[in-house]
Amino acid sequence: MNANGKPVEDAAPWNRLIEAVAVSQDREAFAALFEHFAPRVKTYMLRSGANNASAEEVAQETMLSVWRKAALFDPSSAGAAAWIYTIARNLRIDAMRRERTGSARELGDEIEETVDDSPAPDSRLAAVQSEQRVRAAMAQLSDEQIRVIELSFFEEKAHAEIAEQLKVPLGTVKSRLRLAMGRLRTLLGDLS
Amino acid sequence: MTIHHHPSDVMLAAFAAGTLDPGERMAIATHLSTCARCRAFVDDMEYVGGVMLDDLPPAAMPAGSLAEVMERLDEPASRTIQVAPSSDLDDVPGLPDLVRRCRAGDWKWIAPGVHVRPIIVPEDSPTRVFLLKAAPGTRVMQHSHTDLEMTCVLTGAYTHDGTRYGPGDFDIGEEDDDHKPLVEQGEDCICLVAMRGDIRLSGLLGQLMQPFVRM
Ligand SMILES: [Zn+2]
Repeated sequence: MNANGKPVEDAAPWNRLIEAVAVSQDREAFAALFEHFAPRVKTYMLRSGANNASAEEVAQETMLSVWRKAALFDPSSAGAAAWIYTIARNLRIDAMRRERTGSARELGDEIEETVDDSPAPDSRLAAVQSEQRVRAAMAQLSDEQIRVIELSFFEEKAHAEIAEQLKVPLGTVKSRLRLAMGRLRTLLGDLS
Repeated sequence: MTIHHHPSDVMLAAFAAGTLDPGERMAIATHLSTCARCRAFVDDMEYVGGVMLDDLPPAAMPAGSLAEVMERLDEPASRTIQVAPSSDLDDVPGLPDLVRRCRAGDWKWIAPGVHVRPIIVPEDSPTRVFLLKAAPGTRVMQHSHTDLEMTCVLTGAYTHDGTRYGPGDFDIGEEDDDHKPLVEQGEDCICLVAMRGDIRLSGLLGQLMQPFVRM
């Protein structure tokens, strides 16, 4: 079960849909992925401070990348949601870079550049297992801890603004985040 | 290589969340390129990102949005511009692609035994990145006016407050730190440093120069 009480088996069908896109350019599978993930990527972008139009653009570009890169998706080393998350995140970094540099290049042009130095595959557990482990660890965090981690992941806000939003002093935000991360690390360690 | 000093969990999570500025990102990527332990944690944090993405409330996409994308599926895939890595940094070991793609200036002497070499961050970044090379036995007295300073050791080693930092180690200095690292005997100590603060580059060189003292 995850933090919201959904069953953890949710993850595997998305993997199969991505594989269907990779193997047989299955458009129905793609549509199903789009219906689920595009609106969530849009929420992610809106919370990161994007306006409606660019949030939708990033959501579309993310899904287009899912289509194009489906063959690179390795279900044994990445979970579908985590994989799509990293695509969206990289596009977001890319979009911010274009904003800063005033680059005329289109969104998506520089995805290759933004890839981080990905973990060696052998350092990963099987993906589904990893995702279940992460969900199980997150389920043990308090709502407040989930909230502070969520804010730090999804809202483009300085800690000072988070403090204002949560109506607590800045130092409290920093220590809450530190404690939440430390707890998460311990839980993840215990579960591996 | 045994790595003893790592970035904080919060910093690693911020790397996974994509919320670091470009200079900070380079420093963390440099550490990750040699540290399997931190890579595994970043990996987990990407799963956390995936789980949270999956749990976000959906925001409706406009009607026709899926059809629009469907129409583009057969477009030739490669609008992607492959940016060839610059070869400026080929002679420096231990740098990740993210850094190796950058242009770099020349080594500049700033004090006896100490040279710096700016790395050109390809976009506005509140954090500046440079390489610092110090000869064995140099005591680097760095009084810094910066908010934050991240140091990744690439070669050689130094001792700082009785703690040794060798290749792969990550050292974080904050404003009130009184840095007086001593470079170990043996080889040159080369570090990648990401520094955030109010110092302009010319000012930085000037400021760095003064406090560096050779023992
Ligand atoms: Zn590490």
